[in-house]
Amino acid sequence: MSIVKILGLDKVASFFNIIRQNGGIRGSLYKLYRQDELKDGTLVGEDKFGNKYFENPRYFYGRNRWVEYSDNYNMNYDGSQVPAEWFGWLHYKSDLPPHKDPARPNYPWMAEFTENLSGTTGQYTPYTTTRPKVEPWVPERKSTV
Amino acid sequence: MLRQPLCRALALSSPARAVPLASRSYSNPVPAEPEKVEVFINDKPVYVAPGTTVLQAAAQVGVEIPRFCYHERLAVAGNCRMCLVEVERSPKPVAACAMPVMKGMRVKTDSDLTRKAREGVMEFLLVNHPLDCPICDQGGECDLQDQSMAFGSDRSRFTDVHFSGKRAVEDKDIGPLIKTIMTRCIHCTRCIRFASEVAGVDDFGTTGRGTDMQVGTYVEKMLLSELSGNVIDLCPVGALTSKPYSFAARPWETRRIDSVDVLDPLGSNIVVTTRTNEVLRILPRTNEEINEEWLSDKSRFACDGLKRQRLVTPMMTDSRGNLMPVDWEDAIVAAARALRDCPPNKLLAVAGDMADAESLVALKDLVNRLGSENTCTEQYFPLDGAGIDLRSSYLCNTKIANVEDADFVLLIGTNVRFEAPLLNARIRKAYVHKDTDVALIGPKVDLTYDYMHVGDSASVVKISPRGPEGSALLAYTQELACKLQDKLQDKEWKVLNVLQRTASQVAALDLGYQPGVGKALQDGPKVVYLLGADSGVVSRDQLPKDAFVIYQGHHGDAGAAMADVVLPGAAYTEKRATFVNAEGRAQQTLVAVAPPGMAREDWKIIRALSEVIGERLPYDNLDEVRDRLSEISPALVAYGDVQENNYFAQARALAQSLQKPVSGKLDVQLKHLEDFFMTDTISRASPTMAKCIQAVLKQKDSPY
Repeated sequence: MSIVKILGLDKVASFFNIIRQNGGIRGSLYKLYRQDELKDGTLVGEDKFGNKYFENPRYFYGRNRWVEYSDNYNMNYDGSQVPAEWFGWLHYKSDLPPHKDPARPNYPWMAEFTENLSGTTGQYTPYTTTRPKVEPWVPERKSTV
Repeated sequence: MLRQPLCRALALSSPARAVPLASRSYSNPVPAEPEKVEVFINDKPVYVAPGTTVLQAAAQVGVEIPRFCYHERLAVAGNCRMCLVEVERSPKPVAACAMPVMKGMRVKTDSDLTRKAREGVMEFLLVNHPLDCPICDQGGECDLQDQSMAFGSDRSRFTDVHFSGKRAVEDKDIGPLIKTIMTRCIHCTRCIRFASEVAGVDDFGTTGRGTDMQVGTYVEKMLLSELSGNVIDLCPVGALTSKPYSFAARPWETRRIDSVDVLDPLGSNIVVTTRTNEVLRILPRTNEEINEEWLSDKSRFACDGLKRQRLVTPMMTDSRGNLMPVDWEDAIVAAARALRDCPPNKLLAVAGDMADAESLVALKDLVNRLGSENTCTEQYFPLDGAGIDLRSSYLCNTKIANVEDADFVLLIGTNVRFEAPLLNARIRKAYVHKDTDVALIGPKVDLTYDYMHVGDSASVVKISPRGPEGSALLAYTQELACKLQDKLQDKEWKVLNVLQRTASQVAALDLGYQPGVGKALQDGPKVVYLLGADSGVVSRDQLPKDAFVIYQGHHGDAGAAMADVVLPGAAYTEKRATFVNAEGRAQQTLVAVAPPGMAREDWKIIRALSEVIGERLPYDNLDEVRDRLSEISPALVAYGDVQENNYFAQARALAQSLQKPVSGKLDVQLKHLEDFFMTDTISRASPTMAKCIQAVLKQKDSPY
């Protein structure tokens, strides 16, 4: 065990490393505000929505893979914005990120990934196909304009 | 007729028929009560009049004998054999429904022999009855189901080893109201007896015998009757079921709410069957005073009209003249502004044919507070002479049930068969069972029984009673009625009867509405308030160009189409409301379903309107409105009762000056069956009624 570790200086070094990696003091404060957490890690890949996926085995298993959502989402990010192909890697179903996985199927008929649109204007609204119990009277229009 | 009394057949050939008035003695003396006979039902003694059947005697001590073909209101057929009972010292079981009681008769309704007989009959019935129950509409209210559970054998001997199948019968097409599944028929002949005895159409009958027996119409023919729906209730099995209600619901899923019908002036008692806030069907409710247990087809089947063409939201005309949905607040404020700014003599309120007494009184109070006296109903009635001041001049004074006791019925300018089908059934009952004679002044129509046609010219009324020039006609009628009444031995018997044509008219006249809009329209009203007035007596052409029309009602029809503001009200199944029938009997409807959408109870709308106008009406709940009704006339809240009417002589004296010569012809609106089905907003919106008219017109083209 080196003297550096005994004095805890490696923690100080990694603190400065984290600050540096996250874009200096201003950038670090912004990321801390946006994500409530500041980590260093290696960039594993980026999906087509601009989300970045990081890994750092120094952290405990379960916290050592994470996603930084694209700046396009601002503060409106949520878990459903992780596309299906990255989901497996992020949740330790697979250790191969999608761009390194040769077995991953890719057919032209596969649907585009969409996030959960509940609560937005694009949400799915169920509708009834049965006749209404009461049919209202529709008045005859007197002028066509 | 299946069984007509012999005396009737003999009377047909006698000269007495031609001049019934001259040769008959009226008010036959009541024969002395014959001595009662003692019989024993299961060793319980009971005293009954001679001529009573064993079945009726058993019913008196509370013993119900199972039956299929027997029905209280129909002739005895005695062909189902289900009512077999053991009678002591009789070698065989006897049919209780056809067996008159004899002195000292000892009947055993629960003996081994009786039970064995019932099981045997049930077994025979079920041999050819399909096991359809899971897909049968009668399931749950089927007499055969119930009685096979109660009286049938507990095991089956039916083994179809040769796979020959059960007897199958082709279904008949008898119109858009009644669905027939003839394989289920057990040949009780109730439908045949009803059609020929009560409805007066001899279309039904049987062909073949034994296994080949079939109930049907001989040739393919629609059952052309305004009472046809009753055979559905009569059928003890699922052979005749309701076509519009087919496969809709099971009886145990539904709620039944007692109510009153408003589609004809009689106020028949009904049961409204609902499920999930939807009226599924309407059934008759027994009321001996009014409808017995029958119901006319319009009242029974027009209920699908309650779900179509409804006003569900308030509406106002926009700048282009189109009616657009708006909030209650906007509609009420617009209506209130128009009513407030209107000069009192230019304000007119018109009540339609299904307005309830509560909304009528609220509207009249409101209009009166605004300084106007112009409250009218759509139906015309003469105002001169006694007019509507004496209740006896506009009511069916004899009461509906007493028509059966009449010796002679004179109909003037009416087609009772379609204006009040159940009253016509009563007259027919009197005609069949009491040899009542009927005469008609007016166009020749089919009343289902023979009558003397006196002519259709109004001058005939001078010698008998009522005519087309309203007042004079009524005056002559009153004169004639009083003259006849003077000659009667029974001084309590009331001769003059006026049959109003709508359910709201009597209540409106009681409240002081003026019948007919003629005069009020000529004054050029600025604001017209239509309370369900849809019959077309008020139209845009008759009103000044700038007239403001407010329509309150439940269906979009003529009234709503011409309105500037539409206020959606509740139909008769959706409110607790008072209706007064043609004989002056107040009855109330109950809430079966909620009014659709934003519609509200009618008197509440008028109450809200009065608040916005600033002329607050002094009632906040239904009880207070009814207190107000009873202030005007206690008869309006005496539910179920009919008040005695008098002052015939005074009405006659007041009408004396009006007996001017009358000319012209008497006419009726509803001449044929196809006219009967659509007469008001609900039946006009009903697809079933439309199908009925189509079917009747098609039947007219058929050679049969």
